[in-house]
Amino acid sequence: MTSPIELNDLYCEFKNQILETVPAANLDMCLTCGTCIGGCPASEQLNMDPRKLIRMVLLGMDEEVKKSEWAWVCTMCARCYWECPMKIDIPKLVYGIRAGWPREERPKGILGSCDNHIRAGNAMGVPTEDFVWTVEDVAKEIRETDHRFKDLMVTVDRKGAKIALNQNSREPVTEPDELGPLWKILNAVGADWTYPSVMWAGENYCLFLADDEGWRYILEEFVYHIDNHLGCELVVNTECGHSFFAIYEGLRKFKIPHKFEFTTIVSLYARWIREGKLKVNTNWNQDLKIKFTVQDPCNLVRKTLREEAAEDLRFVVRSLVGAENLIDMVPHGTNNYCCGGGGGALQAGFSEQRRTYGRIKYDQIMKTEAKYVVVPCHNCHGQLEDICKYYGGDYHVVHIWTIMCLSMDMLGENERTYLGPDLSDIGL
Amino acid sequence: MYKEMAASENIPQFCKSRYENNFGDVMIVGGGISGIQAALDLGAAGFKVYFIEKSPTIGGKMAHLDKTFPTNDCSMCIESPKFVECKRHPNIELLTYAQVESVMGEAGDFTVKVAKKARYVDESKCTGCTVCVEYCPVMYPDPFNQHISRNKAIHIYFSQAIPLVTYIDESCLYLKEGKCRICEGVCKTNAIDFAQTPETIEIHVGAIILAPGIEAFDPRYREEYHYGEYANVVTALDYERLLCATGPYEGEILRTSDKKHPHNIAWIQCTGSRHQLEGCNSYCSAVCCTYTQKQVILTKDHDADAKCTIFHNDIRSYGKDFERFYQRTEKLPGIRFIRSFTSIVKEDPLTKNITLRYSTNGNGVKEEEFDMVVLSVGLAPPADVKTFADVFGIELTRHGFCVTSPSNPLETTRPGIFASGAFQGPMDIPESVLSASGAASLCGEILSYRRGKLSKPRAYPPERDVSQEEPRIGVYVCHCGANIGRIVNVPETVEYSKTLPNVVHVEENLFICSTEAAAMLAKDIQEKGLNRVVVAACTPRTHEPLFRDTLREAGINPYYYDMANIREHCSWVHSKEKEAATKKAKDIIRMSAARTCHLEPLREFDLPVHKAVIVVGGGISGMISALSMANQRHEVHLIEKEKQLGGLARRLRATLEGLDVRKYLSDLIEKVYRHPLVHVYMDATITEVTGYVGNFVTKIKSDRGVANIKHGAAVVATGADVHRPTEYFFEQDERILTQLDLEENIFSKEERIFDAKNIVMIQCIGSRCEERNYCSRICRSQSVKNALKLKEINPAMNIYIFFRDMRTYGIKEDYYREASDRGVRFIRYDPTDKPVVARGRLEDGRTVLKVTATEHLLGTKIEIDADIIALAAAIIPSARSQEVAKLFKLAIGPDGFYQEAHVKLRPVDFAAEGVYLCGMAHYPKLISESISQAYGAAGRALTLLSNDTVVASGSVCAVNKKMCIGCGACAPACTYGAVQLQETKRGKTASVIPVLCKGCGLCNSKCPTGAIQLKHYTDEEIASQILAGLNHNVA
Repeated sequence: MTSPIELNDLYCEFKNQILETVPAANLDMCLTCGTCIGGCPASEQLNMDPRKLIRMVLLGMDEEVKKSEWAWVCTMCARCYWECPMKIDIPKLVYGIRAGWPREERPKGILGSCDNHIRAGNAMGVPTEDFVWTVEDVAKEIRETDHRFKDLMVTVDRKGAKIALNQNSREPVTEPDELGPLWKILNAVGADWTYPSVMWAGENYCLFLADDEGWRYILEEFVYHIDNHLGCELVVNTECGHSFFAIYEGLRKFKIPHKFEFTTIVSLYARWIREGKLKVNTNWNQDLKIKFTVQDPCNLVRKTLREEAAEDLRFVVRSLVGAENLIDMVPHGTNNYCCGGGGGALQAGFSEQRRTYGRIKYDQIMKTEAKYVVVPCHNCHGQLEDICKYYGGDYHVVHIWTIMCLSMDMLGENERTYLGPDLSDIGL
Repeated sequence: MYKEMAASENIPQFCKSRYENNFGDVMIVGGGISGIQAALDLGAAGFKVYFIEKSPTIGGKMAHLDKTFPTNDCSMCIESPKFVECKRHPNIELLTYAQVESVMGEAGDFTVKVAKKARYVDESKCTGCTVCVEYCPVMYPDPFNQHISRNKAIHIYFSQAIPLVTYIDESCLYLKEGKCRICEGVCKTNAIDFAQTPETIEIHVGAIILAPGIEAFDPRYREEYHYGEYANVVTALDYERLLCATGPYEGEILRTSDKKHPHNIAWIQCTGSRHQLEGCNSYCSAVCCTYTQKQVILTKDHDADAKCTIFHNDIRSYGKDFERFYQRTEKLPGIRFIRSFTSIVKEDPLTKNITLRYSTNGNGVKEEEFDMVVLSVGLAPPADVKTFADVFGIELTRHGFCVTSPSNPLETTRPGIFASGAFQGPMDIPESVLSASGAASLCGEILSYRRGKLSKPRAYPPERDVSQEEPRIGVYVCHCGANIGRIVNVPETVEYSKTLPNVVHVEENLFICSTEAAAMLAKDIQEKGLNRVVVAACTPRTHEPLFRDTLREAGINPYYYDMANIREHCSWVHSKEKEAATKKAKDIIRMSAARTCHLEPLREFDLPVHKAVIVVGGGISGMISALSMANQRHEVHLIEKEKQLGGLARRLRATLEGLDVRKYLSDLIEKVYRHPLVHVYMDATITEVTGYVGNFVTKIKSDRGVANIKHGAAVVATGADVHRPTEYFFEQDERILTQLDLEENIFSKEERIFDAKNIVMIQCIGSRCEERNYCSRICRSQSVKNALKLKEINPAMNIYIFFRDMRTYGIKEDYYREASDRGVRFIRYDPTDKPVVARGRLEDGRTVLKVTATEHLLGTKIEIDADIIALAAAIIPSARSQEVAKLFKLAIGPDGFYQEAHVKLRPVDFAAEGVYLCGMAHYPKLISESISQAYGAAGRALTLLSNDTVVASGSVCAVNKKMCIGCGACAPACTYGAVQLQETKRGKTASVIPVLCKGCGLCNSKCPTGAIQLKHYTDEEIASQILAGLNHNVA
């Protein structure tokens, strides 16, 4: 940016293009106050920050903006938008920049996952038969090895089931043992649920690729299948942030008619505990006093359900580990910092930037002195583990289902991959 | 009733018959500084006022402040004399703890229902002794101290409260649980009355002034501020109380978490202002930038090593002397202004320190820990403003402020109801005060026919002759909160004063100006037989009238009083030397006591007031002021130096709000010409001004020839000029214009403007520089206005505004936002790296103006080929202002604008009595602001003109005939013509015409024999004072 910018033809095509699709983005309103930067962990990466980006857009520096790789370092976590005094929708701007890249030049990792999903119904690209086989195989093993679950029912495409649950493809493909805990929980409350076979995966990388068409296609196929083949009244998103956002926001954005209600498993956990259906207890940690902290997935909290989700999440974790053993990060809830794994960052290829981004989160976690980070999100999970290893931390990252099963003495020996030695044989 | 009354032949009797029946002239709703000013002005101008306040005392937000910018006067010190004045005023009927329930009728005849809340204390019986407070067992968070400290369920709101009586809060045990009633038992006057119920009173008035004021924005609306959650995040109003001597920690700035002094404090500007977010206000609150600077300066006074950091966006130092104030703050050691908003990250669980995260320009994002964070909260309309507006039947803006007429910011949507103070929108104290005087003038216009019918003169007890008594001096030493007490050892001074000759009584007081203390002083005079009083406190400039009045109330001559200024002359200037300051305070008091022994009782003079008035300057301000006074039946002589009326406004076409200035101006000029009581003099120069308040004679040369005009008062509205830029090829290239030229060009539909592709505007041309160290205030609005107009005409036009700080203060922020939204590009520049303009030729032969500047965020150069460049040229003092100043003996400030009598509380008065100020002669301002101030000047002038006499000081010169040798040296020294030489049997002797003498003492210094002496400052009095200063006891 050393040569002078000529401002004689201030067309700002790119800005107008964004404003056409998002009229409420308020791009022209920037006061250059810097509030966005103060809350943005991606600031300074690649010599860019949200304020600079807006400035360049407003001065019509379209080429530089469109080329900027920063759009793939920013996770669209919306903390800037949340605090911006002028309500400038920076995340949507970044989405627009991503969308402006020629599709084939967008990061390979994200592109591949999006294409896989469109083709095979999941980001990993495994055939549906394999998914069904894995699920049945694991369920059978649980039924056989633990008599408490001899009636465990896991179905795919069971018509008339009340609940349809999606399943992040990571478990069936790379760590099938992680499938069990959630099933056990559903079994314990007697939930009437099934997996859909179409677009069954609880993820949506087309969202990160800023591929509206792909995002929409995946969602429409999914909705059609649920409404027309299964007739479930409730669709539940598994412990995953961006997938929740992809459905929640997608239904709104693409105005997709649907007959079901949509919620997250975290809200259901909270409801079931409140209703006494989930008999969780904190006894196991009474003497151990192991400290836990909670990561609020941006897509589940700040960008969608806000305080409601933050509160449910804490209520659940408190019920599992004891209120005195939950040490919150500062800040948390809607003001939480993104971990750096969102927005497709784990697949985008900017590892160095992603880790620098995650430093804030790492420091936040270490400050709590918690041994475990509970997080209902796969991308957070991956990122938190990675930065822990990278920066030499000593915490463990777990899903809610692991600790929930642990607290109800239901966690099998093979389901403890993410637990540390202190919890490796509790309740066995 | 209005019609009935007009028809009645005997109006006085008609009114009198209703006097007891709650019949008044004007009702003022809201007892802040604006309401107070309106009440006092109307009371002085001969109207009976009903003054309604919803809290238990008048005072408003100003009473909660520690100091006021930019003079850092003690807020309570300058406001509380006005409380006392209100209380003592025979024409002001005060109803506190009361709210208006309904308003029926129309202008001239309103029937207002006022509900008085039960305070469970009989105001007529309560003496304010506070025994009940001592015994009350209930402690609850004190609203006066922002709930930081605690108070009792029964208490006085603050010690200067008016009325000075207790009230019982809803936290009272008896009210809540039906037990206790201890206060009832201990009250010696049986003032506690739990049977009290709310009471509704019906009051009839002719006009209403609404001055409900503002509330501070509540940061709890936005969780990211963590207010109420983190102990050491406070609001600026909390901080104001922390700074204040009457605050929760007696003037020590302490953290509530650990009661330790914070040393490293951050301020976050625009809290709740300039935010589009839900719960926030999108407008600019107009006062926060400057009040923060004040708080920083005061913090450094409290703790010289304190580190202060201000996180801000634009610094809006747009008011008079604000720019200097900003520079003063910036230059203090340990102060950082950081242009970035910030995020409150966390509170340290152990130290309770607060971490902020912010961006720097070029140095990345930083996290930093502070001991305390102050949220510079904005101003918001009162929470119940909607109900309030409904009761009065007036409309509100979308921001919740009062909808006012585009041509008159004081008029609400209901005739006869006027808006005063921050109800119009965010504003500071002087604007609240002058708009109050303006609203009073508008009331005067519609009620002129009944002026003086209901008003009563002030009654004093007969004066006791003490001239033959031995001096018995009472000395009262004031702590002035902490202003004096923190530096001067007051108890030691008191003990010392007791040893002084003739001193029979000494007391100390936290605030001697409080109603309570003044009442005590009067009581001491009577009970302890005092015949002389020394108040060792602050300046006679603000407080002498109050104490003189107190002496009169106690039945002794007010000239038996002396003020020992141990604040301005001692504690403020010697704040680092406590011991020496205490010694000096003792010296000052000793000197004062010595002088007091020699004081004589003096008579004051009633001077007749000539009812005509002259207005100097025929611009908008002058014409408005002239019409307002003429509408109140005063003859007005309007003097204009040009050949036509209109002033600078002739060059304007529209205001930002869309007022058609041409039309407005021609209507106004027509009204002026048509008014039978307004006489216009064009092409006029004033050649001589003689006389004094109430009796001026001004000689003018004009299109009507030479005239000698007799008048009682004068309004100076000489306006301002526009600076002719010397920079950027101005006047060398016709494509470079001032914003005023551009406006004219836009309206005359100049093609070159309409066809321009790129228009560049550059702000601060000739302002905020060494030569003119002030902000011209109106340039941003002017540029935004032109930019919006151009975008309306040609949306494809590129408009770039280069600015240093966008100062679209108050509601004008809306227009800045609108301009941004329409694609006007705002580019900040640094004064050390100004945009550069070069004239060049393009390849196609067109000549262009190449503007090169640094884009400060991206750090890169930008270039624009401008077709037109508009310069926001400074507003400069009018060339004639020096001349007029000399003629009327007026003060001029450092920037060449007229200096008002007091920046905060007398914004349209001059120190020279009988002369008032308005419009751009005071400081650059927008049309609406000029209109408001013009009405204000009229309102103030009416407080003089409405009366038949004005009281002149008894401190005048007199000649000892025996000593006079008739040399005649004295007479030419007198600029008022008060000294005359007369032939007597003993040859020529001088004599003084007392009504003409202003007591300046110039003649004294010329007299070789000491025959001519100034009363109250005689040689004997002054010598005794000096000798006492030299430690010679002469008493």
